[in-house]
Amino acid sequence: MAHVLIADDDADIRDLVAFKLAQGGHRVTAVQDGMAALKTVREQPVDMALLDIRMPRMSGLDVCRELRAAPETATLPVILITARSQEGDVEVGFAAGADDYIIKPFSPRELSSRVTALLNRVER
Amino acid sequence: MIPTGIVRGALVGLSAVVLALTLLIVCIRCGRRYRQRRRERIAAPVRALLLRLLCAEEDDQSALLHRLAEIDKRTWTALEPTLTTLLGKVAGGARTALIRLYELRGAARDAVAALNSHRASRRGRAAQVLGQLAHRPAVAPLCRLLADRDPEVRLAAARALGRIGDPAAVPDLLESLHMPRSVPPGAVIRSLVSLGPGAQRQVAAGLRQEPLVRAVAIEVLGAIGAASRTSEIARALREDPETEVRIKAARALGRLGMPDGLEPLLAAVGPDRPTALRTVSVGALGSLGAVAATDRLVELLGDATPRVASTAARALLRLGPAGQGALRAVADDRAGGPASAQARAALAEVAVGGARHGVRAEVAL
Repeated sequence: MAHVLIADDDADIRDLVAFKLAQGGHRVTAVQDGMAALKTVREQPVDMALLDIRMPRMSGLDVCRELRAAPETATLPVILITARSQEGDVEVGFAAGADDYIIKPFSPRELSSRVTALLNRVER
Repeated sequence: MIPTGIVRGALVGLSAVVLALTLLIVCIRCGRRYRQRRRERIAAPVRALLLRLLCAEEDDQSALLHRLAEIDKRTWTALEPTLTTLLGKVAGGARTALIRLYELRGAARDAVAALNSHRASRRGRAAQVLGQLAHRPAVAPLCRLLADRDPEVRLAAARALGRIGDPAAVPDLLESLHMPRSVPPGAVIRSLVSLGPGAQRQVAAGLRQEPLVRAVAIEVLGAIGAASRTSEIARALREDPETEVRIKAARALGRLGMPDGLEPLLAAVGPDRPTALRTVSVGALGSLGAVAATDRLVELLGDATPRVASTAARALLRLGPAGQGALRAVADDRAGGPASAQARAALAEVAVGGARHGVRAEVAL
């Protein structure tokens, strides 16, 4: 049972991801921008962060960089979510320290599998 | 001297106009927010049901689908923006479930009818839905919408036709480029490209039309990899009277990568040709990967036009070991003048790029 943070300014996607992960038994905290994501991670223990790349106030890439820069969150598993038209961001995302990425449109089932796989990898 | 009364009156009038405009903006925003909240309130009870449907296993979808298909019209209307958004953002079983829901609800039929709505927003949304559903019977009415009085609707229709993927839409998409109410070329190109190689014959028909259509057709043929059209594109590069069309042809030949493209590209880099055409053609020689172009590209390193020379250096880099070897030989020639400088600059750029890549990889690890 992991605590997963999802940050996306699109309420429909945020709710869908949160619902799918909750269905898989995870505790989910959903926020709508990068600043709120960072605040959540600093205030409570989180096992994984799912970050949309394009968000208001602070992008998912910047959140990822901030997480990697802080010793207490440097190893937090991070998955980036991006639209197909922004696939170029993926390389930048890996450079920023992301562990995996998901491209929209995505299958909720595949997203859940990726989250589980990454959590298992980290546990091992 | 203007009388004080007139100045005062003008100031009062101006203030009144500013106040009225501010109030109007506030009212519009409040109205929009109110409608949004109202829609969310109406859709809330069935939203959870929708999320369950999208996350359900296939065997469990049927009952949820039927429950959602039977919701009243008011709730459906409130839920529809969410459905439309999600249709473009989910894949796999979730997308199939959404399409099934639209089918059960008869939403495609309703959307076709809504293409005739007097409200532009409804016409645009209907076009979007039909595109997301890839609803082929909507191709003809969507083609008519390419001449809609609202530019956003025209754009939505072009995008929808691209998503549906029926080559029958090609003549209308090409025609929409030069109608009085036109569609931006970028949108038409994206739609035509998403139709894929299956639309090659219809797109190639555009090579015999007016300049903008010819340019778009060539760009699309290059992007979809229509290698069998190389000779027609090469002819356009040699003979078309419009420089813009020839530039597109040069770029397309580079993308297609066929040997037939070499000769017309070498001819297009001649000093008597327009600079923009020469630059693109030089770049295309690099994309083509033709080692036979090495000597000509080396000559162009010393071209009087710096853009042509620097593009030649980058093109040589793209030719692989042969091009890079030639570039190094020129760079080592200290008496080589500007050509040698161009070669050294290109090699230095590669070295810096490689180093930057190394740093990135280290950060990622």
